[in-house]
Amino acid sequence: MAATERSDRAGAIIAAALALPGVCAHAENAPEHGVVAVKYLHYQDSQPGLQRIRVEAPSLYVLAPLGSRWSVEGSAVYDSVSGATPRYHTAISGATPHMTEERKAGDVKVTRYNERSSFGVGVSHSSERDYKSTAGSFEAGFTSDDGNRTWNFGLGYASDTIGSTNDATLHESRRTAEAQVGVTQAWSANDLFQLNLTYVGGRGYFSDPYKEPDIRPRKRDEAIVLVRWNHYFDGAGATLRSAYRFYRDSFRINAHTLGAEWVQQVGSMVTVTPSVRLYTQSAASFYFDPVYDPDVGAPYPPGYFTNPPQYISPDQRLSAFGAVTVGLKLGVQITPDWTTDLKAEHYEQRGSWRVGGTGSPGLDPFRATFVQVGVAKRF
Amino acid sequence: MPRPVSTPRLGRLARSLVLCVAVCAATAASALDAGAAAPELNLPGLSDAVNLAALKGKVVYVDFWASWCGPCKQSFPFMNDLQARYRSDGLEIVAINVDAKRGDADRFLADVPARFAIAFDAKGETARRFDVKAMPSSVLIDRTGKVVAMHKGFRDEDRKELELRIAQALAAK
Amino acid sequence: MSRPLRFVRSAFAALLAAGACSGCAFNPPQPWEKGNLARQEMTMGGDPLDQRFVQHIYGSKENASGGYGVGGGGCGCN
Repeated sequence: MAATERSDRAGAIIAAALALPGVCAHAENAPEHGVVAVKYLHYQDSQPGLQRIRVEAPSLYVLAPLGSRWSVEGSAVYDSVSGATPRYHTAISGATPHMTEERKAGDVKVTRYNERSSFGVGVSHSSERDYKSTAGSFEAGFTSDDGNRTWNFGLGYASDTIGSTNDATLHESRRTAEAQVGVTQAWSANDLFQLNLTYVGGRGYFSDPYKEPDIRPRKRDEAIVLVRWNHYFDGAGATLRSAYRFYRDSFRINAHTLGAEWVQQVGSMVTVTPSVRLYTQSAASFYFDPVYDPDVGAPYPPGYFTNPPQYISPDQRLSAFGAVTVGLKLGVQITPDWTTDLKAEHYEQRGSWRVGGTGSPGLDPFRATFVQVGVAKRF
Repeated sequence: MPRPVSTPRLGRLARSLVLCVAVCAATAASALDAGAAAPELNLPGLSDAVNLAALKGKVVYVDFWASWCGPCKQSFPFMNDLQARYRSDGLEIVAINVDAKRGDADRFLADVPARFAIAFDAKGETARRFDVKAMPSSVLIDRTGKVVAMHKGFRDEDRKELELRIAQALAAK
Repeated sequence: MSRPLRFVRSAFAALLAAGACSGCAFNPPQPWEKGNLARQEMTMGGDPLDQRFVQHIYGSKENASGGYGVGGGGCGCN
């Protein structure tokens, strides 16, 4: 992703600690099979009149059981990012910087499985020219005797350093700590529920050095509630996977995410999965609309120099908007050990699509298309 | 059964959690202690019916399996081996399938050959009688029809212990 | 309504809506009834590389991110 719009997210620590593939996604089972998978992402986003960011990213994933009580899992990705992003709001100008960027990231996790519990330790690292992040995580899972309920606990810590290709003197950093509690319940023979509560505390530099003017608080606390539900329809041979997430942070942003996908078995080898995702967020308390000072002009809001605000940002990502993603995935099980998949998604974000309030005015709609193609082998 | 601490607006989720605790507590006591008489087992098999009472005098190793259970794939070659080596000593392996759909079991058996008796318990009534707590589960029954031991799950390192118990049960008078 | 109350209401409404559908009575399965829960698409996590890409994309285009994490529970082999 553009250096200006990277995912500065320690939650990725625990998010990367994903459920293991395999027959029984159970906290206490070492996986029965190893997996090697490769996947390629092509991503292109735009706003009217401007192709923005393009990303080409190959990635690799390996899961290896070590005996019946241990497993190791890791992934690596290499992003080639190129393009331009507005310096403020969605303003296109000759000064819109065009750049190319590389991002390398990897993560490794080791998990120990006992009779009714499991413990995992993971590290991850991501680096680009102007941004480096190192993170560690620890998780524990405890399953009831009947195997129907699992409690999960996770802790994560990340340390980031931030620079700027525009300003060689910028050396900033931030630290983020994260704690998560979750429970997964087999509700019936065809239903699985999960509830996760996460709290994140971040301290340090959160501003975007490529946006002007951009001064953000040196602290960001987040609270997240996630509910997920998987339901199997015996008659149709299909699974409905749905999720709702509530997010709120100390920038005063509230966000709701609602997603659903329908995994339809077609014959014995093919699955077709249409998906839809709805997102809405409120604006950060220090986001300002594209209304500029009549004397000084863009990008400064009225009164910026006579009465300077403590915090301010013109970043579209902090505005109030709604977004919709529609997607379709095709999976083919070529042999019991080989699978291949192809997924295409289209994303659109508009101020007017905000739910539960007025969207931020004056911003161009933002669109993105991303396609993933992958192959996996089980061994 | 624990008494729920309730307010008039006790949420559905909280009520469900209390119910689950009650259900879990009620089933904590195992019906299959060592030395108890084995529960009734009378099920359709691949060709003939399988009846535990008719197998008195043999040592019977009952295994509950399903097509969706990964460790079951590994336990079948182990059971093939045991049945071949100890058949003449009086070991009878009975593998009870609990798949809801017979087609799934047939597909599994086409992939993973079984050279021991197979029985079908699609409704899970026999599994319930045997108080199955994990998949797979195996129950070792001695020549007098009493339960020797019950084993939950199947891991590579379980083989030695399982075979030892079988050998001891075969040797016992 | 105050913000904390709205917060609780959103999460709880989601739970109720999920639990209120017919045919979704709370009836945790016996160990031998977990065949459907064992299906690949019933895991909570999903495709690991797909999830990594998609969470990274949304994290850089929207403000909310995270909240996911380990899946599990309900299947019961071993």
